[in-house]
Amino acid sequence: MTASLGRIWAVALNAFREAVRNRVLYGVVALVLIFNLMAVVVGALSITEQARVARDLGLAGTSIGGGLTAIVIGVSLLYTEVQKRTIYAIISKPLARWEFVVGKYLGMALVLTVLVGLFTLAMVAMLSYRGVAVAGAVGQAVVLTWCEVLVVAAIAVFFSSFSSPFLSGLFALALWLIGRLTPDLRAAVATSEAGWIDAVSSATLAVVPDLHLFSVSGRAVDGHHVSVNGDFVGWGYVSTAAVHGALWIAGLLVLASLIFRRRDFV
Amino acid sequence: MAVIAVTELVKTYVTPFRRRRVPALRGVSFAVEPGEVFGFLGPNGAGKTTTIRCLVGLCAITAGRAEILGAPVPSRAARQRLGFLPEHPYFYDYLTVGELLDLGGRLFGLDRSERRRRADRLIERVGLGRGRALPLKKYSKGMLQRAGLAMALINDPELIILDEPMSGLDPVGRKEIRDLILEQRDAGKTVFFSSHILSDVESLCDRVAICVGGQIRDIGKPRDLVDATTLDVEVTLALADDAPAEAVAAIAARGASSRRTPGELHLVVAAGGDVDDLLALARGHGARVLAVTPRHETLEDLFLRRVAAAGGGAGAEVMG
Repeated sequence: MTASLGRIWAVALNAFREAVRNRVLYGVVALVLIFNLMAVVVGALSITEQARVARDLGLAGTSIGGGLTAIVIGVSLLYTEVQKRTIYAIISKPLARWEFVVGKYLGMALVLTVLVGLFTLAMVAMLSYRGVAVAGAVGQAVVLTWCEVLVVAAIAVFFSSFSSPFLSGLFALALWLIGRLTPDLRAAVATSEAGWIDAVSSATLAVVPDLHLFSVSGRAVDGHHVSVNGDFVGWGYVSTAAVHGALWIAGLLVLASLIFRRRDFV
Repeated sequence: MAVIAVTELVKTYVTPFRRRRVPALRGVSFAVEPGEVFGFLGPNGAGKTTTIRCLVGLCAITAGRAEILGAPVPSRAARQRLGFLPEHPYFYDYLTVGELLDLGGRLFGLDRSERRRRADRLIERVGLGRGRALPLKKYSKGMLQRAGLAMALINDPELIILDEPMSGLDPVGRKEIRDLILEQRDAGKTVFFSSHILSDVESLCDRVAICVGGQIRDIGKPRDLVDATTLDVEVTLALADDAPAEAVAAIAARGASSRRTPGELHLVVAAGGDVDDLLALARGHGARVLAVTPRHETLEDLFLRRVAAAGGGAGAEVMG
């Protein structure tokens, strides 16, 4: 078990190193920082709800920046290894393919965690500059955003195990968006009179992770209003959502590993 | 116990979408004994690389069996004791050679001090000491090949598998690889390598296998495989350019073929031809004998004969 963890860590460390040396990543960081600067400006334009606008924009920047980074890195994570043939020198070592998949994912998760941390720091700096209090709800929102980013990353890795980066990117982006719309799909199931809408919505709900759970502002979750500006959900909810996310991540990585195990590298 | 034991190995690739079946190996069997340098020969698409990919776990075996040091293939136990250099090695180009070897050492479960010790020794051994601070993207083809060799040796393997290790290298690079292979053999390691460069194979290998069309056609020691009888004799004579044409014609008539170059006459005498008679005649016309070279069958002759007999030899050309 310890040996297995050592191998996974070796792959993760390498994936982290790869991402850190990728200049695209610095572009994403710059974009999110710009987003936060915009939040300062846009927040100032709002007379009555400066705090809400500033928080929402800051969190949106973290969520969008993190999610897009997860997709950009994730879709090429396994595919590029095969295309560039770098995998030959690695898989021929005493490394199980699932260890490779999990290691690559963990390396990416580490990068995303650092990024979400950086985005959060930028947001806190922006909020402090605006004189907006950084409530505990913001922390809960950040944790939920982080969970969502990690699930999106697992979706991207899953598609990367058998598809090209372009298609994987499309699929992952589609699933991210659909996952955000689960309340609308549930509403469609509840209210639709057309059988096919009911069937399609139900099927989609079954195979798409409920990313709306991690959505943090201005929405209703299980009948409760969820907002970082008012009565936010408690840590119990955050924990439940995190477990939900972890199960999806585990499931997606198992599927990616099974697909990857069957592949011939030619 | 054989270091590599391959029995009736079959590999069939299935193309995506159309599900077309492309046979690459059609029942390959051979064994490599401890301490041997074993050459695996074959034209493009013969199945050499596919065999190697099956052995190192990059491709699944369709049928048959393979074992490395008694461990079934594929298995972690088999890969634990082998070092592998892929054809045209591609590595993470953002790493330095030290970082690459550290990654390799981690995958074999070596501790930090051991990783560092082995990496330092191997980097010096393969002559990359001056390039160790550079990322691999700045390396030349030869330097990458040497980095790959160091990566293949990081676990001090009992078996080293090299896929076309001399491919694309200049004469100096080829000599370095040859020296390294011999050094490993002297250290008691078993080396299995594929190559197109028959002169290297002939000079390095204890035994060879010739694979054509996904099947082994010959296996054994190079000198046992080739025909020891004389094929023909090449004779080179020094003969003045103004020598009488009838004298030149008389001498040339004793050979199966002849070629005139400034100051010289080259003849090939068929096996069983009277070379002494030819030489006496030549001397009688004032020629000097420069060289008499009996020619035997070479590994290359055998190789080309096998390929021709198989109608080109490619099994799964695209797949290798």
